[in-house]
Amino acid sequence: MAATVHLTGFRAFHLPAHTSSSPQPKTLAPASTSFSSYSPEAPSLRSIPGGRGPRRRQKGFRGSFLAASVLKISDAELVLIPSEGSGEIEGLLPPVAGVYGVYDKNEELQFIGISRNIAASIMAHRKSVQDLCWSVKVGLVDGENPDKTVLTDAWKSWMEEHLAATGKIPPGNQSENNTWVRRPHKKPDLRLTPGRHVQLAVPLEQLIDKLVKENEVVAFIKGSRTAPQCGFSQRVVGILESHGVDFECVDVLDEEHNSGLRETLKSYSNWPTFPQVFVRGELLGGCDIISSMAEKGELAAFFKK
Amino acid sequence: MAVTKDDVEAALTSSLNPSHLQVIDTSRGCGASFELEIVSEKFEGKRLLERHRLVNAALAEQMPHIHALSIKKALPPSQSPARS
Repeated sequence: MAATVHLTGFRAFHLPAHTSSSPQPKTLAPASTSFSSYSPEAPSLRSIPGGRGPRRRQKGFRGSFLAASVLKISDAELVLIPSEGSGEIEGLLPPVAGVYGVYDKNEELQFIGISRNIAASIMAHRKSVQDLCWSVKVGLVDGENPDKTVLTDAWKSWMEEHLAATGKIPPGNQSENNTWVRRPHKKPDLRLTPGRHVQLAVPLEQLIDKLVKENEVVAFIKGSRTAPQCGFSQRVVGILESHGVDFECVDVLDEEHNSGLRETLKSYSNWPTFPQVFVRGELLGGCDIISSMAEKGELAAFFKK
Repeated sequence: MAVTKDDVEAALTSSLNPSHLQVIDTSRGCGASFELEIVSEKFEGKRLLERHRLVNAALAEQMPHIHALSIKKALPPSQSPARS
């Protein structure tokens, strides 16, 4: 490939369904995880578990094979996207893996993406940014379940071709543009102290008290929000996320920043286990209570208040 | 100290006098994990959190040795579907 531009840092991977094997936890919340995306260069993509030693050797071969097999963007046919309600995308677009470019009304390329299910991704784009989804070009990638590097290479080849032809990166692929690819906007976990080496000026109880009163909803869990270390914590995070609750997380296993929290919190709340969910400064309950409230539909009503 | 199903049942029976009590050892033998359903008059008029607190208090002695306690139901007799 002739282009020498570095395309790292741009985002393309659009996953219409939760198919990744990244370390994201399984959750009970299909709504919140059905639409995840990340950079093709993100570390999570490299660290797929399992022996992939032999793959590395094939990479060069795969790359050249791919260059021959994926349609060039200039050769791909522009397909009109039916507007929502007026027509089905199924049948028009293939539900398989490949690279795609979305064009607006003026035939300006807005976004180049890759997906394992192009039809579903276009459907999701149409839903979220209908104004910019006028037509689409599709380049299929061979194979039932192609390797991510194959898809990423296809994406790069389209990006490079477009860049060479126009000198522009599609607006939707620019790093600060979040219109097309939503970053999982996970909040960082809250920490009680700056670190173990810092002498506390106030007792830990007071810090806990301040934290739960200053934040509407706080979940004290084992592990982090993105990777809960215990099934009960994971369930609570999943339930809160699926209810669209804006909540803070505190990792009680973080000995560096929350040292002593486990024991202190148990006595503060008079509750023996974790997770613990506080709402407006008061303990709402642990996993059983949250689960039971969610099952009965009480949780949704509770958070509407 | 391993906690047995009998320990849990005895502790709950003595302090909560339940009309229905079901304890299931879900630990596959090590005594660290239980599921329970309990119906007691002492729960009448109390919020779910308070009812769970009563159960936790009743098991205060065993709690340090229990890894996971899942309270499936803690109901007053008036809310229990299977009134006895």
